[in-house]
Amino acid sequence: MNEARRPHPLVDATGPNLIESIFPYDLPPLIHLDSPAVEYIDGKPVEFDLPSVMGRDIYITDTTFRDGQQARPPYTIDQMVHIYDLLARIGGPRGVIRQTEFFLYTKNDRETLDRCRALGHEYPECTGWIRAVKGDFRLVKEAGLKESGMLTSCSDYHIFQKLKFPSRRACMDSYCEVVDAALEAGVRPRCHLEDVTRADIDGFVLPLVDRLMEMSRNVPESLTAKIRLCDTMGFGISYPGGRLPRSIPKLIYKLNHECGVPSNRLEWHGHNDFHKVHVNGATAWLYGCDFLNTTLFGFGERTGNPPLESAVFEYIALKGDLCGIDTAAITELADYMRSIGLPIPDNYPFVGKNFNTTSAGIHAGGLRQDERIYNIFDTTKLLGHPPRVAITDKTGVDGVAHWINEFFGLKGDDRISKIKCAKLARWVIDQYEVHGRLTAISDEELEAKTRELMPEYWEKYRGK
Amino acid sequence: MATVEERIKAVAARVLNVDPAEIKREHYFSVDLGAESVQSVELVAGFEEEFGIEMDEEAALSVETVGGAVEFITQVCKRQGVPIEE
Repeated sequence: MNEARRPHPLVDATGPNLIESIFPYDLPPLIHLDSPAVEYIDGKPVEFDLPSVMGRDIYITDTTFRDGQQARPPYTIDQMVHIYDLLARIGGPRGVIRQTEFFLYTKNDRETLDRCRALGHEYPECTGWIRAVKGDFRLVKEAGLKESGMLTSCSDYHIFQKLKFPSRRACMDSYCEVVDAALEAGVRPRCHLEDVTRADIDGFVLPLVDRLMEMSRNVPESLTAKIRLCDTMGFGISYPGGRLPRSIPKLIYKLNHECGVPSNRLEWHGHNDFHKVHVNGATAWLYGCDFLNTTLFGFGERTGNPPLESAVFEYIALKGDLCGIDTAAITELADYMRSIGLPIPDNYPFVGKNFNTTSAGIHAGGLRQDERIYNIFDTTKLLGHPPRVAITDKTGVDGVAHWINEFFGLKGDDRISKIKCAKLARWVIDQYEVHGRLTAISDEELEAKTRELMPEYWEKYRGK
Repeated sequence: MATVEERIKAVAARVLNVDPAEIKREHYFSVDLGAESVQSVELVAGFEEEFGIEMDEEAALSVETVGGAVEFITQVCKRQGVPIEE
């Protein structure tokens, strides 16, 4: 057995240290960064000032109406306008949700854009999305948009296998012709480097970006090319020491420092094929992308995109402040999306029906004593969603008591003790042990039984 | 009037489905009489109803034995002015 290298004397206490400097509860747990990260790039140590993200202007962008819509039946115009309105509310007056993007090809696309803009919100700014075809910039101009995304797929899988270019040079030239057309039309090109985490970074991506930067040298700042790093298949990795083309830190470093792309012209766009989508997006923020492209509730191509609401909470955690964000509007938007058929799983973080519902009796007991024990933050305040208890065979008396008190809306000393809930708890347990029930007990059933078995409390708190 | 001990044993017998004659003061409700989690709560609820008293949840649930319940409930009844036969 190894000897201990450093002794750790017990720090005794007779009261709890709830580490409220990190877990304030009225905000999500704060992310404190107090040291740089070092990556070895081309054999040399490079220091990344991660704590600087707390003071940097970082933003969320949205592609719910584009990537998000590719994965589902189309939204109606009314639906998109309502969603856009709520996005503006979530992002708040500082425009934390800075941009969203729209297709521009059909009459409906155009009407959607016009009606969204008619709402008069400064943010999210409306941008377009077009194919890398010169003529399409006409659509952007006609729509009165200042910026548009365009596909500049950059892996050989795309260049040769999909787009059938004869060479990388032919591909690059073709993209740059379209960028030229954008600049001539007075539209800011946002070049989407599709499949970048499977591309030849030194052999194609950096030369392409160099050329885009060169083309941007003689245009006003408002027209300079932006770069969206598209982790199309979810291959990106955040791990220290990871290699290109998958390493997100190294990729951003190369674009920032070798190509000179400033952070405020870099955007990350990911997919969730390997369950890494949120962390990869946050990593991009930390390592120098100012913009993180997301969709509502992660809906998007195949396994989906960085969830917008996760990015919102990550933003608050990094900044240590709500920054004008209306988090309650996230719940409102989730309820709306469910009402129009978007299937949000019950256990989905932040917005699933049961994201903070506990089934275990021992957890319910903890909730009764101090909600913070088993609730991630003040979800009542931030999401309008108090922690709940699912009533099953495992819930126990504590769970039933918690349910009762939430049902009657009782707080503090007004809360009913579990002794008074004994009859209802017995009824619940008998459903399983005596009657062989296999399903959870619904709120409606429990409500009816509460009225029957706790009539004095029903009368007191609900009237006759 | 039955004594406190007799009344406690009657409630315990009903809740735990045991013969009251088999219950002894030194018996633990859980270990010896088989009280499960919800039954512990039902016992306290039963005692409250039987004696017409209100008990502190934590204090009442920490009583482990029949004898302990006799002492605890006797004290509560005296504090709350409920007449009992000791």
